[in-house]
Amino acid sequence: MSKTTALAIQIATGDTRPIFRQIVDGIRKEIAIGNIAHESKLPSVRALAMQLGINANTVAKAYTELTSQGLLESRKGLGVFVTEPKQLLSKAEQEKRLKDASQRFINEVLYLDYSPDQAVQYLLNEMHKMNNRN
Amino acid sequence: MTDYIIEAKGLTKRYGKKLALNNFNLQIPFGGIHALIGANGAGKSTLFRILLGFESPTVGETAVLGMNSEQLSPEMRGRLGYVNEEHSLPTWMTAGEVTKMQRNLYPNWNQKVYEAVLGNFDVEPTQKVAELSRGERAGLNLSMALAQSPELLILDEPTLGLDVVAKQAFLEALMHTETETNTTIIYCSHQMEEIERVAENLIIIENGRVIYTASPDDFCERISYWICDFDEGVPELSSIPGILSLKKIEQQYHLMTVDQQAEEFKEYLLSVGAENPVQAPVNLDKAINSVLAKNHKSPTELV
Repeated sequence: MSKTTALAIQIATGDTRPIFRQIVDGIRKEIAIGNIAHESKLPSVRALAMQLGINANTVAKAYTELTSQGLLESRKGLGVFVTEPKQLLSKAEQEKRLKDASQRFINEVLYLDYSPDQAVQYLLNEMHKMNNRN
Repeated sequence: MTDYIIEAKGLTKRYGKKLALNNFNLQIPFGGIHALIGANGAGKSTLFRILLGFESPTVGETAVLGMNSEQLSPEMRGRLGYVNEEHSLPTWMTAGEVTKMQRNLYPNWNQKVYEAVLGNFDVEPTQKVAELSRGERAGLNLSMALAQSPELLILDEPTLGLDVVAKQAFLEALMHTETETNTTIIYCSHQMEEIERVAENLIIIENGRVIYTASPDDFCERISYWICDFDEGVPELSSIPGILSLKKIEQQYHLMTVDQQAEEFKEYLLSVGAENPVQAPVNLDKAINSVLAKNHKSPTELV
């Protein structure tokens, strides 16, 4: 029986994102930045609902969405686990996501008045740090 | 057997000249936590009293657990729980006596739930109900309602007047009761933060009618918020598709709409002379407010 990994996520009411969406985004981020490793066991639907003080159906909805996105899988009688990373997006979708993300990054760079070279250098440094950590 | 735990058909209730319910129709399926939302005087408490058979409708009929509300037997009543907003309990009895009476009355009494909720309140079994504060009385009343493990639990503004810790404990017990005992819970509240956390289904009523039923997320998606300038004059309010409210704040107009596609509505705004229309995000609080504000009594404009 594997141990449950604690999920350090928070939700806010009154937000324009529905609570289930906040959970989906929160877990995606925790996986992306490496706070939860692949193959980790997540808290049960009920446990996370208790932790966040929300209806269990909302957590179930978030877990279902993450499962259909291929990030989680539920194993019968064992619980919910983070899957091995797989490339699930189509090439076009992948490019679109990268384009959107870079657009947001560029907007910030322009706003903060950094030069393109400085921004590129910063990005490279950050990605090196990430590689070293893994 | 019916598919609905609550059914109301063509319900009208008249008090003198005032229509509390006006051809009100509602079907609530078994299971889940349903929040009943409406302005003061929208008909929420009247609906509860009719559902439980405490009052008769002027026209129409209701059924709970498949049985006509006006013919509820004592056995059926044992399967229903109801907490009114005043938390009225027999003042001359002690907390312990009231609890003992209830425990004997309800076969599915859950002592664990009772203790988990009441443990947050400083209520001694020897204290008379009359001596309890409003919050303590609420705590005692809600602990008993949840411990009854009824099939249907109706709560009229249950958390009003509870402190933050007691409220949290009550909501946890409420959600626990729903999942563990399959209780269907109908409750009304004006507290959006709480509704967003707890409710799976919203029933929004206005002037004695149901105007929306949807999950909080689906409901929010139907409402849009636009901000624009109308330098050449504002279109006639009734000509704007799906309009819920139009407010002028300084030089800009703020519009809330329902069921409008973003692209199409933007086209429309441009076609009637709007400048720089921008769509702003909407949260649950704002979405509910916009539908209730549409016909709410309001004084003349502030700005």
